[in-house]
Amino acid sequence: MRIVFCGVGALGSHAAMACRNLEATLRLVDFDRVESKNLLAQAFVKPSVGKNKAAALKLQLHNFHGVRAEAFGVRLGANNAAQLLGDADLIVDCFDNLASRAVLSEFARAQGKPLVHAALAADGRFGLVRWDERFSPDAEDEAGQATCEGGEHLPFITLLSATLARAIEDFCRDGSRRDAIVSLSGVATT
Amino acid sequence: MAILNITYNGLSVDYPREIDGNLRDHDIRRIAVELVRSGELPGLQIANLSDDAFAYYVVDRMGPHAKGRIYLRPKVPFGTEG
Repeated sequence: MRIVFCGVGALGSHAAMACRNLEATLRLVDFDRVESKNLLAQAFVKPSVGKNKAAALKLQLHNFHGVRAEAFGVRLGANNAAQLLGDADLIVDCFDNLASRAVLSEFARAQGKPLVHAALAADGRFGLVRWDERFSPDAEDEAGQATCEGGEHLPFITLLSATLARAIEDFCRDGSRRDAIVSLSGVATT
Repeated sequence: MAILNITYNGLSVDYPREIDGNLRDHDIRRIAVELVRSGELPGLQIANLSDDAFAYYVVDRMGPHAKGRIYLRPKVPFGTEG
């Protein structure tokens, strides 16, 4: 099985790390670079600063856990979706914007690929994990709205990432597609 | 009829009584303000909640309207941190 993580920032990096026990090939896609501020909220370590996020996470998985992964340090779009996602058995959306999420949904629906989304509210106190057949991407309230800054929401981000990883694990085990909402009250399947 | 779940201020709570599953989104937001103000949601009472507290919230409808669930929740535009 090949699982493709689209976006390995706050949610994607932690979720990918939490999936390292699966009998699957993890593919990591992200064009961005690790900045020092990311160390507070994402799964990167200090020597990764300056590296591409996908390449850095691949190195960390190999060096710290002996897990092999594939890394593509490119921006995923309609022009390269088939190349990056064509052999995926599961697509995981951890992107941070409506346009990129729409590219994934369009590809997955056209190709019949399973796709699960994870998404976080701006205040870092609510999130959801939802399979594509029940998902509509939300726009920002205002253009350029700030995302969670620094590490202030780290515990919640890891809770949401773990919920996503558990949904992926369930899918790998028996094909189930469970949605969940995550709040400060806890995790609830929906 | 449907179960209404409201997430606000980081808390997610089911309203203990069923509501009409065919209510419009606007009405659900208005009712939610009243429920939070009145304390009818266990653990979630804000007496002075503003009228527009849920103006930008999303109404998700799961399952058939006859006996489904309705979620009133914040928008979730983000997956990563830039």
